[in-house]
Amino acid sequence: MRRIRAIVSAVTGATVTPTEAPGARAPGGPATTVDAWAAGYLGADDAERRLVEAAERCIVRWGIRKTSLDDIAREASVSRATVYRVFPGGKERVVEGVLCHVVGRFFHELEAELVAAPTLDELLAVGIGALLREAVDNPVLPSLLEREPDLVLPHFAFHQFDRIFALADAVTRPHLERFVAPAAVRPAAELLVRCVLSFAFQPVDWLDPHDDVAVRRLVTTYLVPALTGLDPDRPSTRWENRT
Amino acid sequence: MTGPADGGGAVDPPSGAAATRHRIVDAAYACMARDGIAAATVEGIAREAGVSRATVYRAFPGGRDELATAAVTAGVTQFLDGLRADIGDAPDLATMLERGLVAGRHRLDEHAVLQRALHDEPDQIVPLLATVLPLVLAVLRTDLADRLEHEHLQPGVVPAEAADLLARLVVSMIGNAGSWDTDDPVAVRDLVRGHLLAGVVAR
Repeated sequence: MRRIRAIVSAVTGATVTPTEAPGARAPGGPATTVDAWAAGYLGADDAERRLVEAAERCIVRWGIRKTSLDDIAREASVSRATVYRVFPGGKERVVEGVLCHVVGRFFHELEAELVAAPTLDELLAVGIGALLREAVDNPVLPSLLEREPDLVLPHFAFHQFDRIFALADAVTRPHLERFVAPAAVRPAAELLVRCVLSFAFQPVDWLDPHDDVAVRRLVTTYLVPALTGLDPDRPSTRWENRT
Repeated sequence: MTGPADGGGAVDPPSGAAATRHRIVDAAYACMARDGIAAATVEGIAREAGVSRATVYRAFPGGRDELATAAVTAGVTQFLDGLRADIGDAPDLATMLERGLVAGRHRLDEHAVLQRALHDEPDQIVPLLATVLPLVLAVLRTDLADRLEHEHLQPGVVPAEAADLLARLVVSMIGNAGSWDTDDPVAVRDLVRGHLLAGVVAR
């Protein structure tokens, strides 16, 4: 549970203590953020998974505020007492579990394809395509944005991007380092997460996430040159000095 | 108090219904800036504007929500007008972006009303800003597309797409520059010419 909470803190913007930060390598613990997410997803037992999946359906149907613990119990066909036994923190913890589950499932399913990508073009096409498709196909985000923008959007306000960039760096670094200099990973990750979030929140007709040709054109024409144009030897940029 | 709908003064003062609307939006902005967005009421805005509650509802049938959107739209429009003035007559796309990023960062940091709202009422102001985002992107896209027409583009670049992508990146960079130091002209040059425009403009 501790691990799940750390992961969800990172996703939702709640306070993350350094020792709990995803990506921080605890002795014997998961090595990367993605490993931690996948472990949270894979490590859930049957009862936890059943509840989280029931809660996911309730949230899509009614939103977070209007979903009660009773709704979740009924949807999962278990008693209220069972919900409290699995998630002693109640509804808040179940909601965190849903977010963790969604993110963990996504990265778990994508990981092998990212590792196998032979080129930067392929890596970005696979990753960005999957992220943009998830944003439209997974009903959780669209339904929350529609119903409870005041709960979701503040996590994506200007200063929140400090946290989002750090997370993007941690998630993409193992993959990007195969193709760009270590010092250029941070600005590369920042550019990619800016693009993904912008297109996820504000879709545009020239970039249909289900059109592989369109996604690859975005990557090859615009993004790969931007990433390979980064010069890690320039001393003037803050990112170079920080690394 | 001077409101954001006052514009730059170059336009003739609006008359009649338009003037009333204008005054109400200014009043809504003033009330929300002073008391907070959640605390602003139609009554308070009517009082601030010196009109009746019925007049406010006639001009803004959507009431408080419509007024909040109108006030934020006016604030954002003023921000973009100021940004255009800061950029001035840039000789090329790269210079335009360099000036825009630097000026945009300063304007955002120094926007006391916005900064206070972001700090005190993120659940109110952020969804409102998201509502106005399509307008912001449309304005920037148009300005950038005009500029792209005069540039020598990389093979395969579609000007409308490049304008859209750059508009999104500029908004995002003004919001949070991340690891780029926009106070350092050399860094800004690297950011614009070596990074943002690398796939767009032929060198």
